[in-house]
This record gives sequence, C-alpha cells and structure tokens, in this order.
Amino acid sequence: MTERRDEFLSEEDLDLETLSSDELDVYWRLWLTQAQITNDLDRGDYSHGVFDRDPAPAE
Amino acid sequence: MDNPYVRLTHEFNDGRLRAILASGQAVVLYRLAMVSKDGDWILREESETLAHVIATLARHGARYRYGAPLDQRWLAHGWSSHFEFQEGGLRVRCDFVTRPPRVSEEALRALWEAPVQKEAPVVSLSVLAELKKTNREKDYAVIGELARRMDDPRLQVLYSRSARDLLRLSDQHPTIILEAASERPLLSRLREGRDEIERLLDQERRALIRKNEDRLDRYVQAASSWGAEWPRLSRDLAGRPLPAAHEMMVAKAVELLPQEA
Repeated sequence: MTERRDEFLSEEDLDLETLSSDELDVYWRLWLTQAQITNDLDRGDYSHGVFDRDPAPAE
Repeated sequence: MDNPYVRLTHEFNDGRLRAILASGQAVVLYRLAMVSKDGDWILREESETLAHVIATLARHGARYRYGAPLDQRWLAHGWSSHFEFQEGGLRVRCDFVTRPPRVSEEALRALWEAPVQKEAPVVSLSVLAELKKTNREKDYAVIGELARRMDDPRLQVLYSRSARDLLRLSDQHPTIILEAASERPLLSRLREGRDEIERLLDQERRALIRKNEDRLDRYVQAASSWGAEWPRLSRDLAGRPLPAAHEMMVAKAVELLPQEA
C-alpha cells in the first residue's frame, strides 16, 4: 500500500509537469479560450494588485 | 510559444530584462495548474522600463483599466497598474507592480540578478509562494504544491502546507526546523502531532488572509477619491492612444491618488 499524502491540486493539474513546451502551449491556449466565457462576469474584477473592483467597468 | 503572456514578456524584455512574469502565469510555466486568464509582471522601477512597457502596450491597442498610473511615484509605494486589450478573440489583461507584496528588497534584488528562465523569465518558487499569500483560499493549495517543488529543505519547511510533509521534514532536517522556527512559529510545535499541526496550518492561513485583506483595505480606502473620479476619467480616456491616456492618468492622479496608502 502506498503512503497517503496531503493533496493540493487535481491529477489533471499535476499532469501538466509531463507536458513539453509545445503541449503546454496547446493546452493553455484551449484553457484560455474556454475561460473567455466568464469575461462578462469578471469584467470589473481584479486578480492581482491592490484594486478589488472597477467602479466603472468598460462594456 | 502561442501564449500571449509569454509573447508579451519577450516584447517587454526586448533588448534588456525589464519584466518578470509572476503569479498565475508563473504557476502555468512551472506546470502546476491553469489558474488565471490574466497576466501580471514585476517591473524594474525605472523610467526607461515604464516607457517601454507603455509603448509595447500601445502597439497592442491596450487601454488603462482602473488602477494607478504606470509611474514610479505610485508604483514605489506598492500601487498596481492595470491594462487590457483584445487579441485573437482573447481578452488580454496586464497587471504590473514594481514592489510586490511580502517580497523583501533582498529577494527582489536577487530576482533581477538571476531570474528563473522558463519559456520566459519568471519569479522564483519562493517569491511565487509569497505572492500567493493572498486572501484567496485556493492560493494556499498552490503554495502547498510549490513547496514540494523547492529543492532547498529550508524553503520547504518555510512554505509547506502539509502536516505530513512537515513531520517528514522534521525527521530528516531537525536542525533546519529549529533554525527556521524563528521565521515560522508553527515549526516549533511539530512535536505536538498531526492534528495540532493541521490546526496551526489553518490558523496560519487565516492570519495571512486577514493580513492581506487589511493591506488591500488600506489601498482601497486611499483610492476613494480616485475611484469616485474614475467613471468620468475613463470616459475621457476612451479612444485615446495609450501614451496620451497615460499623460492624462498621471495628471489626474497627482490631484486625486495619494502616493502612500
């Protein structure tokens, strides 16, 4: 029996380590394209920096 | 590489190193997870770099988002600048700081002297772990995995989020645990067992989250007049070439955005 360990990320995430630069690129592009679906929802949001919300997000 | 954030990093660094990819896109280049559709960089705090970045973004048709001007006077006090443009059906967001939170001056200097080279220059694993001490729960899972990628056992014990890993590390490196306990108090209590370490890890995470919330609250409060003016200013900036919009941002920020938060 293998020793159990604390898990932080999914198997899918951890598999990224095996990807070549080109494979990572293709996978990333697909992920990013798919993620555009939430653009309207996070129009005024910030994921980095010191601002949390745009008071007048552009249409 | 087709990743727009990697391409932009190369454009920012045309001729010399000016920008290091951080946070979410660094997590991608370390092949840890797909965690962010935006890009953020640490820039050199100098006028040539900032002018080069503005010129690069202008070529992409970028516009300012709500944020501080990309100007040393604000960046030197920890403010962030934010831009956005559309390219190939993608929304590309670019966020910049020169003084990343929780990163010491020594670590920042080391970053410029020897940046980690992936598909583009990225922050080191330990700097990335500091950047991930945010108020988002999910970032602590990333730190836990980052710690496992670190070669130096001292860094592993400083960043590990796993009670099991910490117990194993304490068996393997008792002296390092002892020395590092001054920087991370829970390391002095590893003998109390897994349940207690897990409780201390939760407590530590919550304390870090609150600390970051307090930090962000100071900036949000300091930007209250700037935020009130932003709807009008953003209408005035709309459609202007970025260099002209930048000049207007700076002129207005001098009036309304304090440099120190």
